[in-house]
This record gives sequence, structure tokens and C-alpha cells, in this order.
Amino acid sequence: MSHHKLEAKDLHYSYPDDHEAVKGMSFCIHHGESVGIIGANGAGKSTLLMLLMGVLFPSQGEVCVGDVHVTKKTLPMIRQRLGMVFQDPDDQLFMSTVYDDVAFGPRNYKLDEKEVETRVLHALELVGILHLKDRAPFKLSGGEKRAAAIASVLSMHPDVLVMDEPTAALDPKSRRRVMKLLTSFKHTKIITSHDLDMIYEMCDRTIVIKNGEIAADGVTSEILVNAQLMDECGLEVPLAMQNCPVCGSAKE
Amino acid sequence: MANIMNSLYNMRLLDDLARQETIIHKLHPLMKLLTTVSFLTVVVSFGRYEISGLLPLFVYPVMVFSLAELPLKPILLRILLVSPFIIGIGILNPFFDQQIYRLGGMEISRGWLTFLSILIKSGLTVTAALLLIASTGMDRLAGALRMLKIPRIFVLQLLLTYRYISVLMEEVARTLRAYSLRAPNQKGVHRSAWGSLAGQLILRTFDRAQRIYEAMCLRGFTGEYETGGFKEIRVWDIAYWAGWMLFFVAARLYNIPMVIGSLITGVIR
Ligand SMILES: Nc1ncnc2c1ncn2[C@@H]1O[C@H](COP(=O)(O)OP(=O)(O)O)[C@@H](O)[C@H]1O
Ligand SMILES: [Mg+2]
Repeated sequence: MSHHKLEAKDLHYSYPDDHEAVKGMSFCIHHGESVGIIGANGAGKSTLLMLLMGVLFPSQGEVCVGDVHVTKKTLPMIRQRLGMVFQDPDDQLFMSTVYDDVAFGPRNYKLDEKEVETRVLHALELVGILHLKDRAPFKLSGGEKRAAAIASVLSMHPDVLVMDEPTAALDPKSRRRVMKLLTSFKHTKIITSHDLDMIYEMCDRTIVIKNGEIAADGVTSEILVNAQLMDECGLEVPLAMQNCPVCGSAKE
Repeated sequence: MANIMNSLYNMRLLDDLARQETIIHKLHPLMKLLTTVSFLTVVVSFGRYEISGLLPLFVYPVMVFSLAELPLKPILLRILLVSPFIIGIGILNPFFDQQIYRLGGMEISRGWLTFLSILIKSGLTVTAALLLIASTGMDRLAGALRMLKIPRIFVLQLLLTYRYISVLMEEVARTLRAYSLRAPNQKGVHRSAWGSLAGQLILRTFDRAQRIYEAMCLRGFTGEYETGGFKEIRVWDIAYWAGWMLFFVAARLYNIPMVIGSLITGVIR
């Protein structure tokens, strides 16, 4: 389905203080792919996602969703198809109950209240926090907040799920749950992270970013074992792929 | 300091309270809004020297307090937070207006009388507004305002301000906590750190507000704040409003304490 592809063509972006955060990135993501975007802090991952979502506009180059260019005019349509989960769930949850928060998106698209309810309950059930629907978002734990933030995007039925560091600041159990949750979605997924073990498990393809440029783009299992590449980009080969730290025996 | 921070941090308590399910909470937001507006109008319409006529109006907040099962202390605390402003406005009256006024057997200056009247009036209005928010919730209140055809830009302004205040407060709380952890022996914030602390705070709040706004836009926000549908207005909702209206009008037209007083003295005679 070509209308689900997401393409970046020679993106450039400078922040108002003239700091060039994205310097000529190009890639194409096809329907159903799950792509990890990795890079050190400040490499430009979040900026790239903002460009994809049309929160920022590139100073040069363009983003296409399907055959549509992302411009101010096409934004409403684009945003219905791309759902983004922010790095900090507190930025995303601002209504007074979890239910209202998850309903915020669908209500903005003027669905009738019955349909909104079905979607909200379904989304909450998918992420496993149906029992929290009447709680205030700011009173949830980190993992629950993340789940609520994901639900608030799922309720809009996006084709592409974009996530900025979904497992950052989660304890191991919550991290597992979020990962399981994400694996169960058949959406196209774009995930940024430093959690390379997660990327290794969840993404078939990985794009490595270094100082605003694409340093590598390819099959995850090949990129993540490239110790030299990882080191140059301020990253390190994930634990799951390293030799055994105790006996030194190599992974088969 | 920790204490003030706590009470500020509990800003969102009103949202919490608004989720209870009492008789008052279940009333239609529009009718509660109308009742509150009527109440405010009546309170404000009293003259500068009238005190006794205002007293029966206390029935309204007391009733709502108890019917909505709202906790007294946190709400009183919020009223106290605004009291310095009220006192600031009224405190000069006793000095400017020194004419003598006879109240019963006592002689007091009219300035003190107006001061007292301002105090009571603002106390009542602030309380009524807080009660409305605590028993309705800002989101539903905004819905009610839209039903009254208040332009959406104003309603939105109100809602976002309300949201961002708590965002700001949380940033303040976090910054101060970080500060006090690294300056354990200090009471309050040292003068030399005020500037940078305040600057940081503003920048961080801007940043945060910006991200929240972006997150809203990404979910299709275009300026209209959808709060979901409303229940229909029932007869009971209208009766609630009408009942209070009757009472307010009666309290405005007749000086109830005086009427009761003369009734009693009449009976005794
Ligand atoms: N609002 C901003 N203004 C100026 N520079 C920024 C801003 N946000 C990020 N940057 C800079 O852009 C670069 C990329 O940031 P970001 O995309 O957030 O990195 P990442 O998400 O990969 O950690 C960083 O060097 C950062 O300092
Ligand atoms: Mg980032």
C-alpha cells in the first residue's frame, strides 16, 4: 500500500539560534515496517520526529506521507494518520481524567460521542489500563502514564505510530509491558531510543543518526553488532549481542 | 516553604473534587453556572453600607458545601490565598471615610463599615466561584459557557490559563525542590539566586506550554475544545436554579434578619 509510505527527502532544519540540528536526512519507510532511530543525546532524533509530524517545518527538503507533502494545508489530514507519543507523557496528558484525555483526539475529529466512547474504551483496553479511566493522569505511575499516552494516540486510529523514547525512565517490568504492547501493534512504527536492546527486539530496520546526519541505515541485526559504528555514534553494542561478560564466550 | 508548596501543588485538588458524585455534582453544569452568576449579581448589588442584608446569603455557600460534601479546609485555604488582595483594596476605606455611622447602639466610622462589606462580599464571591469549580470541573464549566454562546476564544483562554497555571506551579515546585535539596540550611531562596531561578522558571514553563500545545495540535486540536456531549437539562436542574433565584431575590428585596427580628418582637408584644 503505497499511500502508507513515509518519505523524507533531504531534510534540513536549523533552530532559531542557528544551531543546525538536522543536516540532509533522506529515507523512506514503508507500510508495516518498524524502524528504530538511534543516536546519542542531542543527535537530532526528537527534531527529526517533529519534522515528520509537521510540528517543525524543514528549511530545505520535504516530508511526504503517501503522496501528500506535509505543508500547513495538509496538516490536519496528515496528523490523523500519524500518531505521536511524546517523550514525556506529562506533556501529552492534560485533561482531568484519563478517559477525557484519550477522548480528546477523537472528539477533535467531531466523531459522535458513541463512537468516541467505543474508541476510548477499546484503546484503554488495548494498553491494559481500562480500570484507570476515571483517574487523574497526573496521579498515575510512570508506566501507567506512558500507557495512557499511547492510548490517547491509538484512539485516533493512526496508520503510523511515532514514539520518542517510549521506554525512557521506566522500570524493567513497565518497560517489558510497553514493549509487549508495541510489538502487538501491526502499525508502521517509528521509535527513537537509546535503549538498544529494545530496538534490537522490536525493530527490523535501524537508522543511526550522528550530529544531525544519517550515519547508517539498514537491517537492525547487522547495524547493532557493528562495534566501530556504534562507538563512533556514542552508542554501544546492546547487551543481548555482546559476548558473555562472565566467561567471555561469544554469542552464537 | 514546603507547606506553601504543598498547597500550591494541590492546585489540581479542585479537579479531583469535581469528580465526586453528589446531588450538587450531578446537577447540570449550565444551571449551576446560572445559579452562581445570579448569586454573584445579587451579592454585588448590595450597597456599600449594608451588612445585615448580606448575612442570609451565607446560606448558599453553606448549603452547597455540605450537599456537595466538599472539604472545608482546603477550600478555605484557597480563599485565604486571595484575602491579602481583598484587604489591600479595602484597607484604606477606614482612613478616608471617617464619618460616624450608628449601628444599633454603637457608633462606628463608615469606613470600617464599607471595609467589612467589601470583605464579606468578596469572601462570598470567591467562595461561590470556587464552589462552582469544585463541584463542576473546569472542562464541563467551559462546556456550559459555550452553551451560553460565550465566544470560544474566551472560553479557550480560560481553560488554557487554568491548565497552564498548574503547569507553572509544578515547574515552580520542582525547581524549588531541586534548589532546597542543594541548599539544605537555607530558609527560602537566597537573594542572589532569585534572578536566575525566575528566568529559568519562565523559560521552562514556556517550553513546557509549547510542548503541551504541540501535543494538542497533533491530536487534531484546532481551537475548539470539545468536552463531549452534555446530559439533557432535567426539570430538577431548573428547579434548583429557580429555587435559589427565589431565595436570592427575597434576600435582596427584604432585609431578612430585620423581618425575622420584627416578626419575633411582634409576636412577643
Ligand atoms: N528548542 C531548541 N532550540 C535550539 N536548539 C535546540 C532546541 N531543541 C534542541 N536543540 C538542539 O538540537 C540538537 C538536537 O536535539 P534533539 O533532536 O532534541 O536531540 P535528541 O532527541 O536526539 O536527544 C541538540 O544539539 C539540541 O541542543
Ligand atoms: Mg529527544
